[in-house]
Amino acid sequence: MKKSVPIIEGLFEWPSENPRLIATRCPLCGSMQFPKSSVCNNPDCDHSVPVEQCYLSTEGTLYTYTVHAYSLREPFEYHKGPYIVGAVELPEGLIVVGRIKVEDEKMLKIGMKMRLKVDKLYEDNENIYLSYFFEPVVEG
Amino acid sequence: MTESAIVSASIMEWVEAGHPTPLLIDRLAEVTVRALREANLRPRDLDAIITNTTAIPFDSPSYITTSAQHFAHRLAERIGVKGAQCINVCAACASASIAFALADSLIKTGAIKTALVAGIDNSPRGFYLPGQSVLDPDPYAAAIKVIGATNPAYWAMWARRRAYEMGQSVESIKELMALVKEIHSKYGALNPYARYKRIFAAKDVLASPVVCDPLHLYMICATSSGGGAVVVTEMEKAKKITNKPVKIAASTVGGPIYGEPMPRLRVFSTMNIEKPFTEWRLPIEKAYKMAGITSEDIDIIECHDTSCFHTINWIDQIMGWEREETDKLIKNREIEHTGRLPVNLSGGTASFGEAVMSQAFMMIHELFRQLRGEAGERQAKKNLKIGIFTAYGAYGAYGCAILEKAF
Ligand SMILES: [Zn+2]
Repeated sequence: MKKSVPIIEGLFEWPSENPRLIATRCPLCGSMQFPKSSVCNNPDCDHSVPVEQCYLSTEGTLYTYTVHAYSLREPFEYHKGPYIVGAVELPEGLIVVGRIKVEDEKMLKIGMKMRLKVDKLYEDNENIYLSYFFEPVVEG
Repeated sequence: MTESAIVSASIMEWVEAGHPTPLLIDRLAEVTVRALREANLRPRDLDAIITNTTAIPFDSPSYITTSAQHFAHRLAERIGVKGAQCINVCAACASASIAFALADSLIKTGAIKTALVAGIDNSPRGFYLPGQSVLDPDPYAAAIKVIGATNPAYWAMWARRRAYEMGQSVESIKELMALVKEIHSKYGALNPYARYKRIFAAKDVLASPVVCDPLHLYMICATSSGGGAVVVTEMEKAKKITNKPVKIAASTVGGPIYGEPMPRLRVFSTMNIEKPFTEWRLPIEKAYKMAGITSEDIDIIECHDTSCFHTINWIDQIMGWEREETDKLIKNREIEHTGRLPVNLSGGTASFGEAVMSQAFMMIHELFRQLRGEAGERQAKKNLKIGIFTAYGAYGAYGCAILEKAF
């Protein structure tokens, strides 16, 4: 039985029923950092209190995207073209870049509602590698 | 503050990248000697040698510092200098532009009188993939591993967003980018230093395969090997060297800005606070202030066009006008040598291919020749007084300078 492991530790909760992206938040100014950081990134911050780990909203809106037509070469050949890369704006004001999952790319519209999904990126003989994706929220 | 000027500029022919060329330092030394001869200076006259580092992949198994990071020192050794300070600047595709700004600042503050800014790069081919250092396994450097977000993916996302914000179809920005390529390629064909001489029609560009929608293959620059050398001195000295000095009215360096919404190359996230492309615009605004001019004073532009979208966005940011004006300018071919605002008469990176960290040399060289009226068939028809060049690099590296005819 293969193990399911995150492609990189610390990007999202795992194992989890409803995984969220892991970030840090400055308790002073509220600025958020993804991936998580050791310090606040707001130029106005006085850094008197350390940042705390937090979790990001799992829904946002599509800010922009592109269909990447080509596959990448080794060791990233598991990104097989065509695949979609996009940026999703979360209610926190953070714009997060990620792979987009959608049946038909023509469905995608900037401004549409998107939801986080942790899913298989690829597998090898030992593991199933998981990553975060965004997919359109289908209403109704 | 002391005034500064360019007294000579020399570039080499841009060639195909990705092949081992053991003679990089020789090619760099040759182009340097040409620039020194044009200025009638000797290596002993140099107070500083400032070079860009390179995009050449590390070859040292111990990952200790490599020869490709130390061209300033190696060049000093080749040409022989007497106490010139040697500095290697690393700022992705903006490296040479920032090396130039550093030389200018050192002269303006009076720290030095004469600087050589030089560099050569031999880029890897294809999509740039990250290597992970065992000592710095930084997840921030892993956008490709996790997302598959190559450089063109980011450029394509910017292009789509611009079209969206303007209420345009994606097709319309595609057509505009194809026209940019058509125009740039016309001038590349006239430039003896450009690697590509093929003239493209916009429809050829649109017929090439899609790489990252809306970017087609011929809207993205190739990678090349190339470089150049520029001699910068204080104005008083410049006037003794040449009767056609080109004044450096301003030079600025930019960086990533908190709150820039457009995801810059290789980031996972940004904060949506500022107007899109604020970090592109800021070094330009600072340069205008430093030079005491406005966008209306700009006669000619050389901008770093890693993709045809870059040209469009640079015009947006340099002019600071409604983006529809940029579209109109391009569609009316006002960016040609006969137009009211010539852009990339060098042929641009579109025609040169990008010698990644040395790319600014072709822009500086072109502006220097254009302002002196020495650009031959590519010479702008209008009377030129002030030109600007801008560079963009990964991680939010920006460089900008305003050059002015001083004769
Ligand atoms: Zn803070």
